[in-house]
Amino acid sequence: MARGTGKPLHLTGVQLENWRNFAQVDVGLQRRVFLVGPNASGKSNFLDVFRFLHDVVAVGGGFQEAVRKRGGVSKLRSLSARRYPDVAVHVSIGNDETPTAWEYELRFTQDNRQRPIIKREWVARGGREIMCRPDDKDETDPERLTQTYLEQVNANQEFRDVADFLATVRYLHIVPQLVREPDRSVGRSNDPFGGDFLEQVARTSEKTQKARLRRISDALRVAVPQLKELELWRDPARGTPHLRGKYEHWRPQGAWQTEEQFSDGTLRLIGLLWAVLDGSGPLLLEEPELSLHPEVVRYVPQMFARTQRRTGRQILVSTHATDLLRDEGIGLDEVLLLLPGVEGTEMRPAGDFAEVRALLEGGSSLAEAVIPLTRPMKVEQLSFFGD
Amino acid sequence: MIAPDTVILAAVEGPIDEAVLRRLAQHVGTDLRSVFGKQGKPSVLRSLHGYNLAAHRPPLWVVLVDLDRDADCAPLVVSQWLPDPAPYMCFRVAVRAVEAWLLADREQIARFLSIPVSQIPTDPESLADPKRTLVDLAGRSRRRAIRQDMVPRPASGRAVGPAYASRIIEFVHGDWRPESAMTRADSLRRSILCLNRLLSRL
Repeated sequence: MARGTGKPLHLTGVQLENWRNFAQVDVGLQRRVFLVGPNASGKSNFLDVFRFLHDVVAVGGGFQEAVRKRGGVSKLRSLSARRYPDVAVHVSIGNDETPTAWEYELRFTQDNRQRPIIKREWVARGGREIMCRPDDKDETDPERLTQTYLEQVNANQEFRDVADFLATVRYLHIVPQLVREPDRSVGRSNDPFGGDFLEQVARTSEKTQKARLRRISDALRVAVPQLKELELWRDPARGTPHLRGKYEHWRPQGAWQTEEQFSDGTLRLIGLLWAVLDGSGPLLLEEPELSLHPEVVRYVPQMFARTQRRTGRQILVSTHATDLLRDEGIGLDEVLLLLPGVEGTEMRPAGDFAEVRALLEGGSSLAEAVIPLTRPMKVEQLSFFGD
Repeated sequence: MIAPDTVILAAVEGPIDEAVLRRLAQHVGTDLRSVFGKQGKPSVLRSLHGYNLAAHRPPLWVVLVDLDRDADCAPLVVSQWLPDPAPYMCFRVAVRAVEAWLLADREQIARFLSIPVSQIPTDPESLADPKRTLVDLAGRSRRRAIRQDMVPRPASGRAVGPAYASRIIEFVHGDWRPESAMTRADSLRRSILCLNRLLSRL
């Protein structure tokens, strides 16, 4: 897809207008992005931009469905937006040499029947416009503005690469309880919360599956030293797939345990490592540090870096973890700070702040330099709740 | 099997120093049980009094920090930071940073970085900023993976690349030879002596 550029394409920048709690955003995106901000500052809403574009091009998706899934235009539109302005999303896609190989913009509002309606859809290739709507046909038949060209194979021929690229976006926020009890999310495929995680593992060709599980169990041994082996196993009675691990034990043979007995941390780490190996498009991860020991969290950024050097894959993560941000190799342009204000949340790279640079120069860790900038306002009041 | 009473407790600035101490412990025939600190030098120095209190009885404690540019010579700061070391305390300062100890194994570091040995400084403890030197040397590597992992992108605003620590740890565990490094790094040689001396006392 990258057409001879070597490394796969990645999202190189995003501009938003009135998207959920962002009135205005204009930020560059590196291959590795860490979103840091207080609770409810919009980290997930920001990641949702890319899930939304994925939903537009997904099989069984489309623009109408993507907006409907999110509760309609009125839910998507920023609360701080005055009156009824458009919601706009503009993404740049490229690589290190050509950051704007492609640009895609979608601007929409709702009509008086509360249907999402496109105000503008625009594509540029290498900075040159190749499509712009509304076009003549849209003028004669306004109904056409309920669908994007992006989602239609007979209209997106010239920018199919953009649609293909957006279709590769993956989101993951593994909830261990759902992995253990897949019945709760029966029938979902690619469930971001891990409901069909075991099915996904089972669907992978045996060779790939074995190779990946071997790599994962090697890596896991660092965090879970007793774990010796990891394999997919089908329950002979019901045929349902399970992950099972062989634990070193007082018995000479060791003992097998299935995912039902794995700890939350082990399951999340397995999910995280699997996700990193599975697929090539941008990977969106919510708080990968959850349930993990701080010593394990510390090495997550370096693990991402080495994976990316090999595969070129982009990884965007939201995080609260000081231990993760203590990593010395995280670039100031890789950290995006979300700063809530009355006019919605503002987003800026850590490198924009002179004080952050000065603190790092003086020997502070990145965590020490940026976490205070994103501290929730009046957080101390939480302690009063006890009375 | 290592006798449980010869294990060591340690406190360090970060994960690279931890790897180095683990390798040194292995070199002197023991192992680190727990490693404290790892939140930068100021936090190690802040907790130093507590580590020293604990070191009034076994097990052994080893605390390692970088000299950096805090003083001209290590012994001076050692007596300043810890004027009254406990009997089981081995407080060491790397001149001027632990990276100098790694550069001191010239052949192996050259091989790891894929650069000619002639480019590795012969007196690493005289370097003002050994970490910087190490990153600069990595930038001359014939291997792209090494350059990408260890050298920061200009726009990153950081001193090291995205997988610098991971690479260095890989080197320390796989290739670094303390016994040859100590011939060029006196602060390393003395650290090994200190460990051996205290271990023999147990």
